[in-house]
Amino acid sequence: MNKSIIFCGVGGDGIITASNICAVALMRANFDVKKSEVHGMSQRGGSVNAFLVYGKKVYSFLPAKGSLNYMFASEKLEALRNVDYLNPDSKLLVNDRIVPIVGANIDEAQIEESLKSYSLDLKLINFNDLAKQHNMQKAINTIMLGYFSKIIEIDKKYFIRAISDNLSPKLIDINIEAFEIGFNLQ
Amino acid sequence: MRKIISGNEAIAIGAYRANASFASGYPGTPSSEILEYTKTFEDIKVQWASNEKSAFEQALGSSIAGRRSFVTMKHVGLNVAADSLMSSSYTGVNAGFVVVVADDPGMHSSQNEQDTRLFAKFAQVPILEPSDAKEAMGFMQYAFSLSEEYDTPVILRSTTRVSHTQELVYFDMHKLGGMEDKLLAKNISKYVLVPKNALLRHKKLLERNTKLQKLTNEIPLNKMEQGSLNVGIITSGVSYLYAKELLPEANFLKIGLSWPFPIDLAKEFAKNFEKVIVIEELEPYIEEQLKIADIKNVEGKKFFPQDGEFNLDIVEEGLAKASVLEKRHKKYFEVPKNLPLRPPVLCPGCPHRPIFDILHSLRVYVTGDIGCYTLGAAAPLSSIHTTVCMGASISMGYGIAKASQNHKIVSVIGDSTFLHTGIQPLIDAYVNNVAYTVIILDNSITAMTGGQPDAVSGFNIKNEPAPKVDLENLVRSIGIKRVFKVDQYDYKKTKEIIEQEVNTKELSVIIATRPCVLAPIKIKEMPYFVIVDKCIDCKRCLRIGCPAIGYKENKAYIIEDLCTGCGLCAEVCPTLAIVKGESNE
Ligand code: SF4
Ligand code: SF4
Repeated sequence: MNKSIIFCGVGGDGIITASNICAVALMRANFDVKKSEVHGMSQRGGSVNAFLVYGKKVYSFLPAKGSLNYMFASEKLEALRNVDYLNPDSKLLVNDRIVPIVGANIDEAQIEESLKSYSLDLKLINFNDLAKQHNMQKAINTIMLGYFSKIIEIDKKYFIRAISDNLSPKLIDINIEAFEIGFNLQ
Repeated sequence: MRKIISGNEAIAIGAYRANASFASGYPGTPSSEILEYTKTFEDIKVQWASNEKSAFEQALGSSIAGRRSFVTMKHVGLNVAADSLMSSSYTGVNAGFVVVVADDPGMHSSQNEQDTRLFAKFAQVPILEPSDAKEAMGFMQYAFSLSEEYDTPVILRSTTRVSHTQELVYFDMHKLGGMEDKLLAKNISKYVLVPKNALLRHKKLLERNTKLQKLTNEIPLNKMEQGSLNVGIITSGVSYLYAKELLPEANFLKIGLSWPFPIDLAKEFAKNFEKVIVIEELEPYIEEQLKIADIKNVEGKKFFPQDGEFNLDIVEEGLAKASVLEKRHKKYFEVPKNLPLRPPVLCPGCPHRPIFDILHSLRVYVTGDIGCYTLGAAAPLSSIHTTVCMGASISMGYGIAKASQNHKIVSVIGDSTFLHTGIQPLIDAYVNNVAYTVIILDNSITAMTGGQPDAVSGFNIKNEPAPKVDLENLVRSIGIKRVFKVDQYDYKKTKEIIEQEVNTKELSVIIATRPCVLAPIKIKEMPYFVIVDKCIDCKRCLRIGCPAIGYKENKAYIIEDLCTGCGLCAEVCPTLAIVKGESNE
């Protein structure tokens, strides 16, 4: 059976890079992989998402609504925006933060309550705070990926290689360190 | 090599393997990255052009010179190059010439959803439709030889989902054999389209069509796949993948070369089934070909929408309507209603923001254009009243200024768009004495599509220094007298000049000169902060729509790591509550 992941967040916050690293890790783990994302207007601070489908043989780039296995969300509101892709068995990793929207009032408590009401396997962790503690504000998503690799049960060695494959040399060490921080988080 | 690559990267690799040696284009989502990848190949000369027509003809010229060449653009770009396309179909080519056009079903980043297959039919040139990255690479390679063998331009049609999807592909980087450069072609009767020659070329074109018609029925790109279900599906592009995922046991006729349409093949396929379903994004192109040929048992748009981008849910729904599939995927949750939308916005520090704030406060009528600055139409700036296509701001401003004497009309246009198709209507406005104000928003880059250089950037696609056009000299050379340069970060001065010009009954051009905050370098200065005690909750700063400004407990606040320090909020704050520096709270 193929599995699928959604990566969602706000334009410019590194969602595409995170999904690229994950795609390469899955390739290294010997899966067929297809990834789909939308560029364009969404890069200007709008909602962004990328889908990753992997398995023995993948046809469609996109999963169907209600069929997703995992979610990687860098923001709570954006996680909520994509719940129609999920089902009661989906597992979610959500960064516990809200990015404001120009001209909108966001009721953070309600967003959170709403998210929890789906009774999903939800891990809500503030990765921004965690990154700040370690002085790694530029590698928040990589810390998240470290934790996420355990949720999707893919050996971390594939991720470490994917980080080396995907990032420029001067960023590799710090991102591997960031990955380990996430991986070792309980 | 085993690698995850995007459709756009695959197209570039396909061109390289086919020994292409020249490429040009105008950036446009979703096509832009094709040239960005192509530039990494040393054997291919690559460059951005001012517009698609220019790019198209450069590549056609290079083909006539004997080098395999291609041009890239998005679907609406082909409208600009349509003139060249229609006639190059008559002249034919010398070395292989491929026109790569990326459609955008669903309009993720476009002003319409037109279907390039109709252009192929109109111009009578072959069009290839890959379904994914792997096919995009192979189809691109094949497109060059098809072009040479049949002496015709060939269109390769991608879509957003093909261009921007990444998948695992196995390939090598060896060039294919048998595609040597040719000599420069000198053949007046072929390449000079005066009526006498063109009439003969039209006959040639029709002969070519007959040959292509035969080819399309035999070519492996149009292939039948046998399945165990008694259902026949005819499909192309990404629709094939969705259908295959949902109904792998069905029989398929997968169309890879969609003009000329393989009608004999389709007849042969259709006669085996009681019902044949056509699945295609946007226009009912395939369906119409089948119905014109009087194939009776086909239906397509009866089950599938003619607008928007397809996905698994839409295709599943259509197949269920056609009663060949029971819905398998269940929807469990609904997205909560009234969740605030997160629309794209001008970046923090964007140099277009002060201009729109000024235009908003002056209550003028603004014709806009295609680029980042189209976002000036969104609330709270809400200061653009028309956006139609590239260059239209100046020409429509002209029309509106002519028709409504009493209104203050301002046209805003980016530097790249101005050079694309804005300069011609400006010349018209000058020679016809039309009085209005044109603001060139010169951020010295094509920003919307990801920061490609243009003729005023001073560097080229390979990041090498390049000659640059001086916009002020260019505009003055038309003969226009009232030309002003402003620094829009100097808000007061800029406002003064704009106000003065909209109140002057003469044609004037204001060039606003600040580079994009994202490209080629990310600009980040010391951030600003709000002195809480001085904030009187007037919300004036919120009305500039900067994403770095938030609001809670009746006070504005600035998100430090988003703020680029442009100072606009400080300029508009009536109580001087906003100042430079980090908050010490
Ligand atoms: S403009 Fe100044 S006073 Fe008004 S809300 Fe903004 S910070 Fe406060
Ligand atoms: S200075 Fe003000 S307007 Fe400029 S980026 Fe910072 S918050 Fe936004």
